Amino acid sequence: MTFLRQLYWELFRLYARKRTYVGFGIFLVVEMLFYFFWTREKAEAGMAKFIERVAGGFDEYFSALTLAFLIVVFTMLLLGVIFVSLVTGDILAKESEDGNLRLLLVRPVSRFRLLLVKFLSCQIYTLSLFVFVGVSALVVGVIDRGWGGGMLVWAPELPRVSLFTWNEGLARYALAMVGFSLIYLPVIGIAFFFSCCRIKPATATILTVAICVADRILSAIPLPAFDPYREYFLTSRMEAWLYLLYQDIPWPRFIEAWGWLTGFGLTGFVLGWMLFERRDVKS
Amino acid sequence: MMLDFVSVSKRFSRNAPPALEDVSFAVERGEIIGLLGHNGAGKSTALGILLGMVAPDVGEVSIGGISVQRDRVGALRQVGAIFEAPAFYEYLSGRRNLEVLTAYSGGVSRAEFDEVVEWVGLSGRIQHRVGTYSHGMRQRLALAQALLPRPQLLVLDEPTDGLDPEGIVEFRHQVRELRDQFGLTVLLSSHLLSEVEQVCDRVIILQKGKKVHEGPVGTAGERRLVLEIRSPMADSLLPLIEVEGGERLEDHHYAFPSEIEPSALLARLIAAGAPINHFARSEGSLEALYLRLSSISPAE
Repeated sequence: MTFLRQLYWELFRLYARKRTYVGFGIFLVVEMLFYFFWTREKAEAGMAKFIERVAGGFDEYFSALTLAFLIVVFTMLLLGVIFVSLVTGDILAKESEDGNLRLLLVRPVSRFRLLLVKFLSCQIYTLSLFVFVGVSALVVGVIDRGWGGGMLVWAPELPRVSLFTWNEGLARYALAMVGFSLIYLPVIGIAFFFSCCRIKPATATILTVAICVADRILSAIPLPAFDPYREYFLTSRMEAWLYLLYQDIPWPRFIEAWGWLTGFGLTGFVLGWMLFERRDVKS
Repeated sequence: MMLDFVSVSKRFSRNAPPALEDVSFAVERGEIIGLLGHNGAGKSTALGILLGMVAPDVGEVSIGGISVQRDRVGALRQVGAIFEAPAFYEYLSGRRNLEVLTAYSGGVSRAEFDEVVEWVGLSGRIQHRVGTYSHGMRQRLALAQALLPRPQLLVLDEPTDGLDPEGIVEFRHQVRELRDQFGLTVLLSSHLLSEVEQVCDRVIILQKGKKVHEGPVGTAGERRLVLEIRSPMADSLLPLIEVEGGERLEDHHYAFPSEIEPSALLARLIAAGAPINHFARSEGSLEALYLRLSSISPAE
């Protein structure tokens, strides 16, 4: 109960900040920008051509769910890592910089528990962000395309397009949002590790984003020589959330990738904790 | 014994001088003890070690018989602390700040919460955002968080820094009240001599990481009349001062029995033929002791 109470107040603190809502607002703005892009005549014509070729029935498959999927993918690609790094990089480094940390460290609570509360709150916060982005994108889609229709999912990583009925698509969309947020654990782990170091919060964020961007660039090099190593890149593994949108979900592959990423994220937490445990915090 | 500091040493890096070197002292329950020293004397390091935020290289600190180094959580259950310029979550109300912080102490009852908030004088503003608080109100909030849940040892690090004179007087009064009414033990770290002198029963003076003095404020701190007397013929002045029952403390500082009237003493010294350039009451007796100790290297 005590742990849950601590988690509750940590989340309360995070959600009470004005910048949380500024962040969510920025996501909404970017979502709207992608909505406007995907519904422009040329983009829609391109989609119509593609859908007619792979599935037939543009009106059926360019539904609210398909539109929401496209909005979410591009919004998260653009902002996901930055925002999650920003929140997690701040979680300890900012408190250390502001001086709040001292008041927490004199409480009768172990450093491990203190860090665990903060780490979990980052994961919950990330989940809520994905839910927000997913729901708002769907609302935008429903307003534009109406309720109903099929769902078409296509991404370069998918072996072929996936086609779902409305109800099935809705369930898959919800599942993919949760999976997408869980897949972000390594980003949280890296940012959390840096946040535990004696560095500025902005530095923790920049380092995390830099690592993720470098990883993305390296993993995307289209040379056959890189193929055997591609699976070791973090961002390659993070594409595993798309497994949840395969026509038949390859659960073993998803669980393997999720386990690998969770292990990576938790390693970041453990390393951060080991570092923080030995750190002298002068009053 | 409430606090036991045993042979504690700390060096932050190999090449740096020791921040603390073989410092030991003990504090009885119900005592108000002052930790005095220049900036960099080792006060913050001592408090950091006491509060489990800094690991000592050597030595151990126990609070209420529980070692901070072996059972930090158990030891800190008995402690409340206030730091210089306490930082709160500006965007939360005072109440929410206290709730966030006390959640890490296992929570407190509503009655206890309200009682402490009222005692520190924040009842009317506890629902307001901390960002709107004055420095004095922040300090009250800091005191409230230190008292929730009720500690046995209160650690105060430069608590009156930035307070206005009324705030300082009120804070001193509250500290005495906490000891007298609730039996709290208080460790007050400060560089303000007058503050330590007025509040504390005993004082520990640190200099360059070493303890250079420990004793009751009343006796070791010289409760006698301390005067600063300057004369071009200081050597011939000393016998005259000794005749008056005085004793030399340090350069130009002399202690006299408290019943001596300074103006009458000055008249007698002049009548005895001593040329006096400067004659003034030293601001505080602890100041004289502190200045004397400061002029001596700890190695001496």
